[in-house]
Order: sequence, then structure tokens, then C-alpha cells
Amino acid sequence: MRVEMRLCLAAGLFLGIVCTIYWFTSNEDAGTAMLLFSFAAYALLGAYLFLQWRRRKGIPRPEDNDDAEISDGEGEVGFFPSASVWPAGIGLGAVILAVGLTYGTWYIVLGLILVFGSIIGFVVEAEAREEGPDDPGMPIAPRETNPPVAHMSVPSTHQPQP
Amino acid sequence: MTLIQERPGGGAAIVAEPITEIVPGPRPHGWVKFITSTDHKQIGLNYLVTSFVAFLVSGLMAEMVRTQLIAPNNNFIGPNLYNQLATMHGTIMLFAFGGPFAFGLANYILPLQIGAPDMAFPRFNNLSYWLYLGGLLLMLISFLTNDGAAEFGWFSYAPLSEAIHSPGPGVDMWLLGIVLTGFSGIFTAVNVITTTFTLRAPGMVMFRMPIFVWNELVTLFLVLLVFPVLAAAMVLLWCDRHLGTSFYNPNGGGQPILYLDLFWFFGHPEVYILALPYFGVATEVISTFSKKPVFGYKGMIAATLAIAGLSMGVWAHHMYTTGAVLLPFFAAMTLLIAVPTGIKFFNWIGTMWQGVLTLNTAMLFAIGFLVIFLCGGITGVMLAQPPLDFQLHNTYFLVAHFHYVLVGTTVFCAFASIYYWFPKYTGRLLDETLGKISFAIMFIGTNLTYFPMHDLGLRGMPRRVFTYASNAGWTFLNELSSIGAYILGIGVLFTVINIFKSLRNGKIAGDNPWDGQTLEWATSSPPPEHNFEVLPPIRSERPLWDANHPDQLTEVGH
Repeated sequence: MRVEMRLCLAAGLFLGIVCTIYWFTSNEDAGTAMLLFSFAAYALLGAYLFLQWRRRKGIPRPEDNDDAEISDGEGEVGFFPSASVWPAGIGLGAVILAVGLTYGTWYIVLGLILVFGSIIGFVVEAEAREEGPDDPGMPIAPRETNPPVAHMSVPSTHQPQP
Repeated sequence: MTLIQERPGGGAAIVAEPITEIVPGPRPHGWVKFITSTDHKQIGLNYLVTSFVAFLVSGLMAEMVRTQLIAPNNNFIGPNLYNQLATMHGTIMLFAFGGPFAFGLANYILPLQIGAPDMAFPRFNNLSYWLYLGGLLLMLISFLTNDGAAEFGWFSYAPLSEAIHSPGPGVDMWLLGIVLTGFSGIFTAVNVITTTFTLRAPGMVMFRMPIFVWNELVTLFLVLLVFPVLAAAMVLLWCDRHLGTSFYNPNGGGQPILYLDLFWFFGHPEVYILALPYFGVATEVISTFSKKPVFGYKGMIAATLAIAGLSMGVWAHHMYTTGAVLLPFFAAMTLLIAVPTGIKFFNWIGTMWQGVLTLNTAMLFAIGFLVIFLCGGITGVMLAQPPLDFQLHNTYFLVAHFHYVLVGTTVFCAFASIYYWFPKYTGRLLDETLGKISFAIMFIGTNLTYFPMHDLGLRGMPRRVFTYASNAGWTFLNELSSIGAYILGIGVLFTVINIFKSLRNGKIAGDNPWDGQTLEWATSSPPPEHNFEVLPPIRSERPLWDANHPDQLTEVGH
């Protein structure tokens, strides 16, 4: 966390310095504005990471710990939704919207409907999933039929290959 | 359908306990899988295949452009189609091949190399692929509109690209296609940065990540900064064309120079977006086939960061000849970039130094990259100096320079990556003989195509002309260059044939055909869903090597 934070803060600092030099040497608005917002982008990201780091009170995550074993990362890693059709819907809608913006016709309406409909589908799907497998509305296969997918085991040493 | 990834509790003694809990829904196959998959490997492959097809299409356009230029006063395709093809060649190579191929590598390889089960936002990842594909298709479809595709060059300078000078729907489709690919890039950047910051395996501290991961990370930092600027520039241009605003139109009080500023603020970091990931590929390939850790690991990272930082302050060196920029600032910043690039060269050679070299196809492409990119880099330093740039800016010298840079890095390293990681994608090796023939032909073709362009530029041939007079003295060099382009194309075809042949009949690769050093070789080929069954302990930047060669552990802190 600390390295990431320093990385973003250093990027922000560098862009801030370049922005200052550029403003005083060139007096040109467009470039100064762009550099200023670049500085703001990374200052913001760095500040967020700083707050996260402070919240952890300096205790490193397993991925920041030099001596961590693989098993130190035990527990839930994250939520990874499987297949979803909504991203393709948003993409298709965006293309139709672009055609509409070119020809200026009812394609715009169709595109907007598709984009926003898909975004709603996208969000609703995520909310339904975050309630987890106990949610009775979810189509859950019986436990016994689970295919054994994506095992990850953690022996502390790796077998050398012959 | 829901999937919660978990790691087991208890001590290190636990063996082979399944740690991924999956509640299965129906698992999609075929086209449904292609469209809906959120697996980073499937999306990565989608990116890689699509962008390689885009590369072939765009290469075909370049062959037509070179055919037009093979003889003076030629009328093979005519001025309009010439301009369209030249524009689309540049656009597709930059927006639909160079960047997205690197995003594809980031999608497929980066989570594997840091030991992550997937990308941080899988569905978002899928969305960015669809936006990219949509943008590419929009650009290609624009050839079918009444006035054809855009024909103002890939930089689309205003006011040439304004509605008065470039009417027609093809231009708008081009412009919106760029916006869509731009958003795709931004989403990928968010995704990859989050993945790298939060999903690393335990022990994979930042300074143990492979150089490829570092380079992708820094590249996507740049993407996050500059692609919004590009999208904004394009949206303003669209407003000028359709809503009657005058951002770039001097008649209404606008400033064309604003477009140049916005575009090149994106455009120059874009060159490094096209280069840095491929530097990472070259580093991985050279390190693996020298059987050595990367020489000067931290220096390499520092050089990457320095290149990225400096590239934010050099955009106006594309605009020297406008006379409206601060020459000393931009010349100094541009010349400074040569320093970290030189460090990288030093480290690549240092990695090979006293290593046990395996000269297979991937390594040959990486070495070819070193040679060709060096030539491009040196002409870059020449062009960074305003007095020279004023002479050479609109000549073929500049075309030669950026083709040496981009063909050297993007194309040669992309091919190196294909030969290096193809076993991981498919489980089969590519044919080495065909590969080496392909490399030899491509290397000769590249130099034969682009080297004469330097001389053409010095003899005063301007860029972007669709033909030239027979008494100008440019005929022979243009013939050479066009013949070189055909040779280059044949070299590429060898690799395409090789891919199709090896997909069915290639040698079975096994998990780790190259005696690799990084984690992507620690899993099966192709990797299972959620990637890893076993992870070796991570104590240096090449954990797999340490696990396989306990007698030659990587020294930490070099």
C-alpha cells in the first residue's frame, strides 16, 4: 500500500512541478490546464491511498509483506461474477448511439434505450449477486453437482519440474 | 453463478485444499461464451485476436499505399482513396492494434504474473472489449459511406477536419470510433491499475513484480491521464461539426492551435503507451532466454517511470513548426527522454551479458527490436532539436523515424510476445523454422521499407503526397521502399500461416516450455478458470525460477 501511495503522490508532485514551470515559462492556457488536471488526478488517487494506508495503521497487507507465505492471504479474495450479457448490450448500444450521432436520426433513441437499459441490468445483476448464494432468487445448482473448477491449493513449496 | 474466491485458513502445511467456492450456473460455450465471458483470459484473447486482425487489415492498406507510390505519376488508387487509406492505416495501427494488443497482453498475462485469480472488475473488462470492437467496426464501416472514410490524416487537424472542409458521415464515424476506443482504454486502465494494486498474491510486493507488469501499470497510468483529453478533443470537434460551436474554427473566434494542443497532449504519451508495454515484453523475453534475472531491476523501473513522467511534458515537439510553442522547454524535455531509454538499452544488454542465450524466434524478435528501435530512437534525438526539425518536419524523414520506432517496438515485440506466450494461450508451441524464416524476412523487409525513406526525406520528398513527378529523383528509392513493404508483408504471412498450422499440429508445450521465471508458467497451459492450482512462495522477482532451481536462487537487492 505504501509503495502504491508513494507512486501516485510522486506522479502528482512531478506533474505539479512541471505544470508550475510550464505556466511561468510559456503562459499558455491549454497545456497548463491539462497539466493542472493531471496533477489533480494523481494527487486525488495518492490522497485516497494515503487514507487507506492510515486506516490500516501501518499493518502491511500480505501482498505488501516481504516474508508472506501464500497461505497468509487466506479468506475471501474477492467477488468475481461469471458470464454476463450486459456489457455487450452497453457496447452495442454505444455503437448504435454513435451511428445516431452521425446520421442524426431515431438511432439515438434506440441507442440510449439500449445503453441505459443495459446499465440498469448491469447494476441490478451485481446487487442480486452481492447478496450471495443464500439469496433465494438465485438459480443455484445443488451442491453435489458442483463441477470442480478453479482449485487453488497452497503447499508451502513448489515441486521442482523434472 | 456467484463465485467467491477464498484461500484456506490454517498453517502452511495444508495441501491441495480447494479454495475456490463456485456456485455454478450454466457454463456458456461457443459464441455465447465469446460474448458474455468475464474471464480475463477469454477477454484477453478476444483483444489479441481482434487487434491482430486489425493489424493485418491495416497492413493491407499500407501495401496499397506503397503500391500507389511505387512509380511516379501513378494512378493506382487515386488521391481520395490514397488519403483515406493513409488515414485509416495510421488510425487503425495506433488505436486498434498498438494499444489494444498491449491491453490484450495486460488482460491475459498481467493477472497471471502477479498471481491473481482474475481482473478486479471482470464485467467492466468485458465492456471495454466491446467498446473497442465497436469503435474499430465503426471506423471500418465508414469506408462504405457515400463519401468514404476520413481523409485528413490520423491526427485530423482542425480546421481541415471541420464540416466545411471534410463533410460526410465517414468523418463522424471515424471520430466517434476514436471516442469509443478511448473509453475502452480508460476502462482498461482503471481495471488493470486496481488489479495490480489489490489482487497480488501474498509476498508479491510491488518491487517483486515482473518488469512487464510494471510497464503495463505505468502505461495505463498514462492512459488514464491522456485518453480523456483525446475524447474531449473529439467531442469538441463533433460539436463544431454538428452544433455550430467554434472551438477550433477561427471564423467564429476559435483557435486551431487548441486542437493541436489537445491532440498532441494525448498524442505524444500515446507513443509511449504504444512502446512501454512492448519494452516490458522484450524484457521478459530477453531475461527468460538469457536464463538470468533482469539486470538492474530497480533501474529498469525507474527508467520506465522517468520515460512516462517526461512524456507528459513533451507534446508540443510535434508542433515546433507552428511557431506557437515554447521551443526550449519542449526540446529540453524531449532530449531528456533519451537518458532513461538509454538506461533501458544498457540493462537489456546487461541482461544478455554472460547469460546462456537461447536464440529462438521470440528472442530473435526481441533482438531485432533492439536494433530497429535504436535506429528510430537516434533519429528521434535528431528531430528533437528545433533547427533540424524545422528542415525535416514535413518530409519522409519523419515518416522513416516513427516507422522505425513503432515497427521496431510495437510490431517486433508483438510478434515476440506471440511466439513467447502462444504456448500459454493454446498449449501448443509455434513452429520454430517458420518463425525464424518469418523473422528474417520481416527484418530485411522492415529495413528495406523504411531506410530509403530517410534519404527520401533528405532529398525533400514531403509526406502525405499521393504521387510525385518523375524528374524529382525519388523514383528509385520509392521503388526500393515499396518492394521492402511487400517483403515485410510476406514475412508477416509466414507467422499467420504458422499460427494456423500450430493451432492444430503444433508440438504440445507443457506448462513451462521455456524454463520460465515468472508466475504465468506456474500454471497449466492454457490456465484453468481462476488461474492457479499451486503457487510457489514468492521471495524474489522470479519466484518460479527459485522454485525450480533451488541451487541458483535469485539474489535479492541487486
